[in-house]
Amino acid sequence: MANLAAVVGTGQTSYTTKRGDVSIAGLVREAAVNALNDAELTWDDIDAVIVGKAPDMFEGVIMPEIYLTDALGCNGKPMLRVHTAGSVGGSTALVAASHVQSGTFKRVLTVAFEKQSESNAMWALSNPQPFSTHLNAGAGGYFAPIIREYMRRSEAPYDVGIKVAVKDRLHGARNPLAHLQKPDITMKEVEESFMLWDPIRFLESCPSSDGACAMVIANEELAEQAPRPPAWIRGVAMRSEPTMYAGREEVNPQAGRDCAADVYKQAGIKDPRKDLDVAEVYVPFSWYEPMWLENLGFAPEGEGWKLTMEGATSLDEGGDIPWNPSGGVLSSNPIGASGMIRFAEAARQVRGDAGDHQVEGAKLALGHAYGGGAQFFAMWVVGSEKG
Amino acid sequence: MSQPDVLHQAFELGFTYTRSTGPVVGRFLTELKQRNIVGIKGSDGRVIVPPMEYDPDTAEELSEFVDVGQEGEIVSYAWVKEPREAHPFDKPFAWAMILLDGADVPMIHCVAADSEDAVSTGARVKAVWAEETIGFITDIRCFERV
Repeated sequence: MANLAAVVGTGQTSYTTKRGDVSIAGLVREAAVNALNDAELTWDDIDAVIVGKAPDMFEGVIMPEIYLTDALGCNGKPMLRVHTAGSVGGSTALVAASHVQSGTFKRVLTVAFEKQSESNAMWALSNPQPFSTHLNAGAGGYFAPIIREYMRRSEAPYDVGIKVAVKDRLHGARNPLAHLQKPDITMKEVEESFMLWDPIRFLESCPSSDGACAMVIANEELAEQAPRPPAWIRGVAMRSEPTMYAGREEVNPQAGRDCAADVYKQAGIKDPRKDLDVAEVYVPFSWYEPMWLENLGFAPEGEGWKLTMEGATSLDEGGDIPWNPSGGVLSSNPIGASGMIRFAEAARQVRGDAGDHQVEGAKLALGHAYGGGAQFFAMWVVGSEKG
Repeated sequence: MSQPDVLHQAFELGFTYTRSTGPVVGRFLTELKQRNIVGIKGSDGRVIVPPMEYDPDTAEELSEFVDVGQEGEIVSYAWVKEPREAHPFDKPFAWAMILLDGADVPMIHCVAADSEDAVSTGARVKAVWAEETIGFITDIRCFERV
């Protein structure tokens, strides 16, 4: 049985196209300092640092953890780097949590980041390989056929993705840190934006952002002494599956279903739509909301899109299960940090710290990340109570 | 039993990137362009050249820039007998750790000298600037004996 652990501080930068005023170290540092300030702690209070970012080739900084030790106050402390592609922000938080749950450390700082303005993420995730035709697809090109297959199977109306794109940007307009600020966005505007990878339109895609996110995770004793309400970690799970096997179920990956079942079991969740108050889920392309609504058990297979269209996931429509009140990945996407932002935003919700995008009275929240070709999954459930 | 042929293929991969230097390293490079060398004061009062963004001991953010001298002393060196193409000179030279006047931490740069005998620990050297300075470490073309 793992020891209890809780988030006692979160820190983020604001998200934007280009932070030319800071180095990568300066960007990462900003989020870390914000998390320490939120927890009312200093570098000396941290026992270990767990850092995550997307693959090195994205920014071309090989082993950034070496370059970041002084910026993250790691002098004389253990520092670890986690790698799981786009899900890395979530996996990093889970590795950090496990070091506290195991009793190895009392209080850890965890940080994830991406400076997309200095990177080549679009093509670095679609490498040519010997003896193969270069796919040259980028992320959207990879996921578009999977979305098409979802549309075919579910017979969902064509504008479900458009609705998600509008909903998440309206959520993002409530969040001052969000990169895209589009309070007046309309279905028509999204529909008329150009088609990038059919069926994914420009405004149905995530932006490219610079930014970083950090959290301080502490053991039960220290969390009880924390100046602000802790977000108790009620369940943690990761699952992986191979990307390149052509027979894999890509629309509704088994690893995602298994990961969700595991994390719900730990948190005592039987009906996620009913038992959870809010979810921050990795939706980089609009149609991934209905797809993950099904994969994560919020709706039966083939019916996720109905929740979206009913407004169940919308804060503005008073939905019963708001998804991505922060604006989600569709409003801010510093890739390596995006998973951790989901986890930190889930924690903010149950700490009552989410400002204008607070889901009133939120007590139990899901944070979710996926990465690779939807092959890595990382999830946690956090609560305002120990459980 | 015959050995099967194993296929292999040359494979080249390259991407382009940009970098932001930030307020500390950026300031150091900008000062080089003005033919000036700056360090930064650490938490214990030591002057670190080139400047670092964060204190190597306490992790505090550093911001107190200090002008240092353009002359200093060789702390240690390695003589390069046979320069290669990427080296800054096509004749023998030294890589050296140079403690600039006013600095407490040595900086690595190259020292031009006619022979190894001309370089020694404790020798005084001065910066020689490039004809055109652009905000790059090579704005200091080299150091040479005073």
